[in-house]
Amino acid sequence: MNETTPDPSSGTADGGGWGALSDLPGNPIMWVLIISELLVFGAFFVAFGIARVLDVETFRAGQAMLDVRMGGLNTLVLVTSGWLAAKAVQRQSAGAGFAARSYLAGAGALGLVFLLIKGVEYAAKAAQGIDIETNTFFTLFYLMTGFHAMHVIMGVIVLAIVGWKNSSDNLETGAAFWHMVDLIWLILFPIVYLLR
Amino acid sequence: MKAEESQSQWSRRLALTWAVLVGLTLVSLVAVLGFGHSEAGLVAVAVALTASFLKARLVLDHFLDLRRAGSGWRGFFNGALLLILLILFATYLAADY
Repeated sequence: MNETTPDPSSGTADGGGWGALSDLPGNPIMWVLIISELLVFGAFFVAFGIARVLDVETFRAGQAMLDVRMGGLNTLVLVTSGWLAAKAVQRQSAGAGFAARSYLAGAGALGLVFLLIKGVEYAAKAAQGIDIETNTFFTLFYLMTGFHAMHVIMGVIVLAIVGWKNSSDNLETGAAFWHMVDLIWLILFPIVYLLR
Repeated sequence: MKAEESQSQWSRRLALTWAVLVGLTLVSLVAVLGFGHSEAGLVAVAVALTASFLKARLVLDHFLDLRRAGSGWRGFFNGALLLILLILFATYLAADY
């Protein structure tokens, strides 16, 4: 229930019921999601590492076919997008609603750029006759990057929703989802593209 | 606490975080593309994983504002990140060395 709270953007405004989660900034339920996602992707990453040990030649050959520059470019796109989302929260807290929406739109647009680059990468692989059934490496590659890309799509939708209903609390929560998507990529990229 | 930080300080902190994220990304790209297939391959992988850990910490602390949370939570996320990255480093060592 919403009691009278002096600062709706404060994460601890709900008072109680969330236990330790109340200590985290923003909406506690978003942190439940962030922690669950980290654990799911963490399990994916560990499975990837173990599968690589079991069939290192296939993985090395597959990783050698990945375009590291594309993945690197997408890392730069996502961290820049994350910065714009954080700026949106900052501007909103200063009461600058229009600026906040503009930053949020920029963050969402870069999310679409990420998907575009991913699409180009997938298309290039498809042109080489590579798909999810090619071998264990590419099965995991498509599962992990595809699952992440679905989160990017969801994230762009979330950013659009909180840009529309742009209370400080909504903005902070929507941006937190976006940062989680960014965070996962920052671990996924080196593990899949760089550990070769 | 945000209340103790002015808007311009907050803005500068976010910009600095972004700049370091870009810098760390470029460092790991240069390490892997430049030295990944040489005898320094292991060093390149260590650099990439360390950069990944630092980047994740920056996003957690400054974009997700985890610096406002207690040390227990910070320890939890630090531990989870370190565990995942160390396991991956171990599987890399097991497979390639």
